[in-house]
Amino acid sequence: MKKILLVGKPNCGKSLLFNQLTGLRQKVANYPGVTVEIKSGRMAEYEIIDFPGTYSLNTLSIDEKVAVEQLTSRVKDEETELVVCVLDATRLERSLVFALQAQQLAIKENKQIVFVLNFIDEVKRFGHNIDLDGLSRELGAPVYALSARSLDGIAEFKDALLTAEYKNFPVQAPRAPLETTKQFVDFSRSLAKTYAMNKDVVLRNQNRVDTFLLNSFLGGFAFLAIMFVLFQSIFTWATPLMDGVETIIASFAGFVTQFTGEGVVTDFLNDAIFGGVGSFLVFVPQIMVLTFVIGLLEDSGYLARAALICHKPLSYFGLSGRSFIPYLSGHACAIPAIMAARTIESPRKRLITMLTIPLMSCSARLPVYALLVSVFIPSDQYFLGFFNMQGLTFFGLYMFGIVTALIISALLSHSKSTEQEQSEMPFIIELPSYRLPHWKPLYHRVINSGQQFIKRAAPVIFMVAVGIWVLGYFPLNASLEESWLGSIGHFIEPVFAPLGLDWRYGIAILMSFLAREVFVGALGTLYGMEGADENIAGLAQNIMNDGLPLGTGIGLLLFYVVALQCVATVATLKAETGNAKLSWGLYAAYGILAYILAFLANTFI
Amino acid sequence: MTLWELNKGETANVSHLWEHLDDSVSTRLVEMGFETDQNITCLRRSVFAGPLVIQIGDCVYSLEQKIAEQIFISTQETIS
Ligand SMILES: Nc1nc2c(ncn2[C@@H]2O[C@H](COP(=O)(O)OP(=O)(O)O)[C@@H](O)[C@H]2O)c(=O)[nH]1
Repeated sequence: MKKILLVGKPNCGKSLLFNQLTGLRQKVANYPGVTVEIKSGRMAEYEIIDFPGTYSLNTLSIDEKVAVEQLTSRVKDEETELVVCVLDATRLERSLVFALQAQQLAIKENKQIVFVLNFIDEVKRFGHNIDLDGLSRELGAPVYALSARSLDGIAEFKDALLTAEYKNFPVQAPRAPLETTKQFVDFSRSLAKTYAMNKDVVLRNQNRVDTFLLNSFLGGFAFLAIMFVLFQSIFTWATPLMDGVETIIASFAGFVTQFTGEGVVTDFLNDAIFGGVGSFLVFVPQIMVLTFVIGLLEDSGYLARAALICHKPLSYFGLSGRSFIPYLSGHACAIPAIMAARTIESPRKRLITMLTIPLMSCSARLPVYALLVSVFIPSDQYFLGFFNMQGLTFFGLYMFGIVTALIISALLSHSKSTEQEQSEMPFIIELPSYRLPHWKPLYHRVINSGQQFIKRAAPVIFMVAVGIWVLGYFPLNASLEESWLGSIGHFIEPVFAPLGLDWRYGIAILMSFLAREVFVGALGTLYGMEGADENIAGLAQNIMNDGLPLGTGIGLLLFYVVALQCVATVATLKAETGNAKLSWGLYAAYGILAYILAFLANTFI
Repeated sequence: MTLWELNKGETANVSHLWEHLDDSVSTRLVEMGFETDQNITCLRRSVFAGPLVIQIGDCVYSLEQKIAEQIFISTQETIS
């Protein structure tokens, strides 16, 4: 199929243009270990390929290198008909630097390039008029003006692509020698002088909003308010959706199992498939809601400001300002949080952020915390007569996770070799104009996040769910204690003995390696209770009667704060870092650290 | 003086980049507009030595101290 490549600098509106040109079907190709995402979609008989926004063809990070290599090879590709370079018409000078580089690349391969000046609606609103013919003569290539939002000029541009009108324009170099970086920059500057609109007019609006949003005092409040909404949204908006998914799975399970009768097949379907794998699908809505809110922040331009506000405090721990949103998201679920780390400019800081995200107390830990906290702390106890002790303990557990993450980040950033330091991109980010996000790119992002989660995590979750089910189910008609899993529990009891825990906890911990929230249900079964998930208080009473010492309980809580008991997270880490050893290594490392903490608590408290 | 010393509201010209900067970083800075004689205005300073916000050409950037100290500028007064 004939291909059209879409390139441009970040924030030039390329995603929106891509979505306006192509239909609702898109494919996204990811490259393991880097944030490079290449999207493709159809427009009539053409395939349009959207490359990540790039500042320059001279690369700094591995991510940029992969993106540029992909671009170079695609430009060479025989099927490639045309390169479309998108420019921000309100910021011609900066957009032109990359545009000229892209043009050189196209010329070298004897491919045609056209320039698209996006945001023409804003240019018109400011009352400016860009001399397209003049610019086109200077650049030696066709120039189109359009707005991906108001759709001005889109139809004409589509026509031009479909009729291949650009072919009347021979491949030609711009009217200036371009070899050194300085020549690229100078030519961009001189073109901007003639053709661009007054920059102060463009920047006035955004600077005015920033006076408020970046103000040390008011801006701080705005930041807290926005983050509070983000955090709330994950729980309040996602909850009904999650319940919905649960209901759908349950009724589907009911429907299917009515044909399978009683027996192993039904038990397998119910417990391993609908119960085990199904409990993961419940997280899909939460992941999508989170992606949606982060997408809103990014497309509106606020994300860059949030990074700026958080940069200084986080830099003490070797993190970037952009690590904040991933950390915050990690309190809902580590998986979208790890994916959100893609926006971190420095690969090293991105890696450190991803490695420490699992320490954030995600929502799957909540039932475990709730159970153990209610065993040890009476609900009517108050600190200073005002703070509920249970609430304070929860807060303490969250803080423990965050502090551990920061300590580990600081250690990692100091221990890593300093050679990499040199070519590390320092923290310098563009503050884009504030803009109203458009639903189309957001929609694709949200759908894609759900799909990726399922694609990456489903296989490993399926295997673990089936494995645990088999171990717990056989030999037939045995109770959980007498099952293979029970035998393993008894067998490894010595491992958990130093933590003060008996075989029941051992089994529950083993089972929760599938996912933490399984712990409560499993422990309930072992205490001879049905449906402990819904009756946490009842189980807590049982545990209390059994007499679990305080130190052991605290140890168990700390174990759950630190241990990376989530195979879906490991699968995501593996995909995002492109490093399986590292991901499973982290799994082991956090497991060992958790064990040590639990041991210390059990011994000394 | 360096960009880090620029106060809010002040304007200066870029004079040069620190010569020991990694080539790829200085190339990127030039491509972003940090090029000799470009006009640069400090829009905002943050508390506790957080990143500063500047306008250069048609872009607004935020830079942390480390990199701002590697960009040398000359203010109008020093020129005259
Ligand atoms: N007013 C206006 N807004 C636009 C236009 N094109 C894109 N946007 C908005 O600008 C923001 C950045 O666009 P996006 O497509 O994410 O940029 P990208 O970083 O190049 O992919 C989004 O909020 C878009 O909705 C346009 O032509 N006019």
